[in-house]
Amino acid sequence: MKVLLVEDNERVTRFVTKGLQEAGHTADHSDNGRDGLFLAASERYDVIIMDRMLPGNIDGLSLISALRQSGNQTPILVLSALADVDERIKGLRAGGDDYLTKPFAFGELLARLDALGRRTRQDGTVTALEVADLRMDLLSRKVARGARQILLQPREFKLLEYLMRHAGQVVTRTMLLENVWDYHFDPQTNVVDVHISKLRQKIEPEPEHSLLRTVRNAGYMLSAE
Amino acid sequence: MALFIRSSATTLAASYVLLGILALILFALPLSYAWRAAVDDSRLQILTEDSQRLAEVFNRRGATGLESFINERVGLQIAGERILLLTDSSDRALAGNLPAWPANVPEEPGSYTAPIDLDGHLTLVQLVRTHFPGGYNLLVGRDVGKLSPVTTRFWYGLAGAVAVLLVAGVVGGILIRRALLSRIHSIRQTVSAIMHGELSHRLPTGSSSDELNTLSLTINRMLEQIEQLVHGIANVSNAIAHDLRTPLTELRSRLEELSLTRPPPSEAFAEVDAAVADVDQVISIFNALLRLAEIDTGMRRSGFVDVDLVELCARAVEFYVPAAEIRDIDLTFKDESGALHLSGDQLLLAQAVNNLIDNALKYTPPGGTVTVSTVRPSPDSAGVVVADTGPGMTAVQRERATERFFRGDASRGTPGVGLGLSLVDAVARLQGGSLEFSDHQPGLQATINFPGAK
Repeated sequence: MKVLLVEDNERVTRFVTKGLQEAGHTADHSDNGRDGLFLAASERYDVIIMDRMLPGNIDGLSLISALRQSGNQTPILVLSALADVDERIKGLRAGGDDYLTKPFAFGELLARLDALGRRTRQDGTVTALEVADLRMDLLSRKVARGARQILLQPREFKLLEYLMRHAGQVVTRTMLLENVWDYHFDPQTNVVDVHISKLRQKIEPEPEHSLLRTVRNAGYMLSAE
Repeated sequence: MALFIRSSATTLAASYVLLGILALILFALPLSYAWRAAVDDSRLQILTEDSQRLAEVFNRRGATGLESFINERVGLQIAGERILLLTDSSDRALAGNLPAWPANVPEEPGSYTAPIDLDGHLTLVQLVRTHFPGGYNLLVGRDVGKLSPVTTRFWYGLAGAVAVLLVAGVVGGILIRRALLSRIHSIRQTVSAIMHGELSHRLPTGSSSDELNTLSLTINRMLEQIEQLVHGIANVSNAIAHDLRTPLTELRSRLEELSLTRPPPSEAFAEVDAAVADVDQVISIFNALLRLAEIDTGMRRSGFVDVDLVELCARAVEFYVPAAEIRDIDLTFKDESGALHLSGDQLLLAQAVNNLIDNALKYTPPGGTVTVSTVRPSPDSAGVVVADTGPGMTAVQRERATERFFRGDASRGTPGVGLGLSLVDAVARLQGGSLEFSDHQPGLQATINFPGAK
């Protein structure tokens, strides 16, 4: 993925750029709003990471608004130290696609970038999802592993659907909380892990053919290999 | 004097006095006009009737008959205050109580008001003049001044009323001003004391329900709120100082030890990971405090939407059931209220209910039960009750449970920083409700009460 990072803090920039390169992405960087707008408008990026408070006249949110007004639909992840719920809503309203507050774990950032970058490539209407021999029919709401039908409760179905839609990507606990339960707060417990392990018991009766893996310090990944 | 004039009480009193005088004048002028017109009219009518009666006498008995009739009346003093005069064609007085025809009465018959010389005094008299055949002239008149004492008394009365009004206004103004100033002065003293940091001071209030008292009571409530907030901030600062220092100390010693001992990479990385976990702990405390501050400012009230409380609780229970099962706790949801909606902050309400459930699960031993139920104590209120079979809390602990960073004895060895119930309490207060604890025998029963449910 080609990523544009608009961020004025040098340390954060170095940390993010290095991490992105290690994960196999290329990253361009701008430390102010004007150059950021110029880069975003002239080059094609898969995802833009945008800090909210930038030096110069253009702050992150007006930059996003300007890009959206000019018809640029590149997914944007807003990175900000402003953590209030209202600030988050402001960021999304301005045209941001996701909002991550500082300080953040790099795993969280990377997982969210992957999800955003993938979103553009995914075509809109999917009726069935498939990972290895795990199949999910979104219309009849049936799940099967090979020939064996799996009975899931509605929330478990939603959880698995999210994991399957993001197959091959790391999905963090926060992402699951936000997208499966719509909980935009940290419940301070390992409840998500418990849900995952319950789901795992249902979809993987034999642990040797594991599809759902735990990624250390980050979250979970559902993948065929 | 300048202060006296500028005082609002004085201005008010003066305006009311002026208004009173104006009202009196507005009342007196039309009244006196109407009174005068009515008196004049009836007097004229009497005079006209009188002259008609005399004309009848003239017609029946001739000039001499009328002459003797008039003389008789004047002699008997029946005429009273009336002026009568009969003259012949050469203007010679034949009968009546006037010596001669007065000078300033017009020639034509009709009614006039004219000054006439009566016993040496020039008096305003209303007159009716009648012609009789043969050049005879009859004058019937009445002294207008007869009723003037009444008019005079009326005007004196009016002046007296104005005077009383003026005196009452001035005295009242002074008294009101003095009373008002003394109360305002005491309010000002209290407020300056508060401005100098003595937040426990309150405005003096009485038992009456006048405006100033009501205002003082409202201001006192505001001061209470401010004092509570200031104390809250002070408490939080102390708590932050204490509770952030602990993980920060740990972090610092970990890093310093790492720097000093330079262990092999594998060990070093384990230490670094632990250090990151320490930082995460600090961040989560920080976030919880910021969220609390955000709630306490009441800013989030602007984002209230319609919240389905039953659905919210059912979802929260569903979220925690797997975690409860693992610990062999029976977590159930009971809808004892029917549909329950209220205007609120969806996110915060969810977090509050989740915190209560999380708390209950944390302290309930394996094999116990946690019951979440929605209730409707009255038609327009709602309640969420979370009851567990854990060790419960003592009365003292229940009192202190919502304090920031407070952790009961039972919480030793369990994760958490003691902010969960503070948040529930803050959310309940944001919604205008309250968080209450009671003994579930055994265990703890936490109830959030919300007013304004639909």
